[in-house]
Amino acid sequence: MIKLRGISKRFTTKNDVEHALFGVDMDVEENTIHGVIGPSGAGKSTLIRIINQLEAHDEGTLDIMEYKDVRQANKESTRMLRTKIGMIFQSFNLLENKTVYRNVLFPITLFRTPTKNDRAYALELLQTVGLSDYMNRYPAELSGGQRQRVGIARSLINRPKILLCDEPTSALDQSSVKQILSLLKKIQQEQSLTIVFVSHDMHVIKELCDTVTILDKGEAVEKGTINDILLRPKSEATKLLTETVGYNIDKILTDYHIDHTLYLLRFNQKAKENPLISKLSETYHVHMNILYANVTPTHEGVLLIDILGENKDMVLKDLHEKGVEVTHVN
Amino acid sequence: MSIEVSLYTEALGETLYMTLAATFMVFILGLILGSVLYMTHENGLAPNRITYAILSTITTTFRSIPFLILLVLLIPFTRVLLQTILGPSAALPALTIGGTPFYARIVELALLEKGKYLKETGFAFGAKLHQVMTRILIPESLPALVRGITVTGVTIAGYTSIAGAIGAGGLGNLAYLYGYARNRQDVTIIATILMVLFILLMQYGGEKLTKKLSHK
Repeated sequence: MIKLRGISKRFTTKNDVEHALFGVDMDVEENTIHGVIGPSGAGKSTLIRIINQLEAHDEGTLDIMEYKDVRQANKESTRMLRTKIGMIFQSFNLLENKTVYRNVLFPITLFRTPTKNDRAYALELLQTVGLSDYMNRYPAELSGGQRQRVGIARSLINRPKILLCDEPTSALDQSSVKQILSLLKKIQQEQSLTIVFVSHDMHVIKELCDTVTILDKGEAVEKGTINDILLRPKSEATKLLTETVGYNIDKILTDYHIDHTLYLLRFNQKAKENPLISKLSETYHVHMNILYANVTPTHEGVLLIDILGENKDMVLKDLHEKGVEVTHVN
Repeated sequence: MSIEVSLYTEALGETLYMTLAATFMVFILGLILGSVLYMTHENGLAPNRITYAILSTITTTFRSIPFLILLVLLIPFTRVLLQTILGPSAALPALTIGGTPFYARIVELALLEKGKYLKETGFAFGAKLHQVMTRILIPESLPALVRGITVTGVTIAGYTSIAGAIGAGGLGNLAYLYGYARNRQDVTIIATILMVLFILLMQYGGEKLTKKLSHK
């Protein structure tokens, strides 16, 4: 759906040249939510702006849907591409002098006089985001969460295939963040949208994304599914991020000063239904010390255990047979 | 009280004419100059360092010339343009040239402020450059533009009395001719009151309109 290869971007300031991105590769599959996360200054905003060419990259190629190497496209074709890519922003960027309804309809008016269908779709979107009662209000009369919901409705009016989200929850309070995330999830499923979501906050990324790219100082240092990133972070930058949501196994190991092998168990839906640990403990007369437990964003159970007793190997074999994925860690 | 009422009404009429006509011209020209300044600004829609530097220097230069001196400097220009340097209309070139740079800066700042976020929002939805200007930035800046032209109008009203002193007519001229040259304090006071009332009215109208246009 979206394919970036060797994307580089430099900004020239008065005195020197600053590198924003170094040869970034990224793939976003159709109908998934892809997170881009990294500390501020990592180049996240630049990266997402390159996707709809608000910034032109200096090197590399970018293919989006049927548009190949979009940097080479002429102005008109870039405009057409942009109508197929919705975008929402950290500061909402609504038109203050237009009503909520006119804001939602605005992108259409750049191309044509809204038709009956367009107007009906605007109303439908307002209903989807739960703001039907606010259609004649002005943005200043709304809360932050409500404004972002107007932003979401506006971004969908052109029926885009892709939605770009640039830190859309960073200016919101906790409860609004939750609402916006579940709204995005719902809309993504209903419309089979492909979402690229930029954030510096691992909590938000973990809640929402299927796959993740981690940016650090302009480089894509790691990419993978959200579970892999959380449980097996490789780079230092990723470890710092996963730590913020309590997933840094390495740090747990160091904290406990463990010098022998531990086992990281991952329970799928089926394995979760049985009281496995206590049963195994009873059957094989072993003690199991639980050092860490969590549930991944995809509802997989994660357990880091120490097994004390003679029958360790039989326990592991049994776990494996019951469909629990076991990883040895030390 | 030997001065006839008609002298006051005539002077007031001249002041109104000079102020409103010049403010109208300044609104048009300032909007154009301010928009071009914004467009070519480094954070504008079509940055152009050289054009911006030239326009910005000209704008600042004209803003820094005291109005009385500008009036005198423009005498040859006005003579060529209007074949006279006397009367309210003769003051218009100087009033317009004095007010335009002032308003242009207000326009530039208002557009920069709105453009910070809304520029890329427009482009993200596929707007063309001119649409970003005419459909987004100018409508969104309208309250600031109206507030700005009100302030400019008040300044121009002040300028008319300076112009009056060198023969443009209006309340300033009246106050000068009778109040100063013939030592008629009462005329000065009445002329002042009329001027203040006019400015208050203009300010009030501008604020009302700004409020109506703004949805903050």
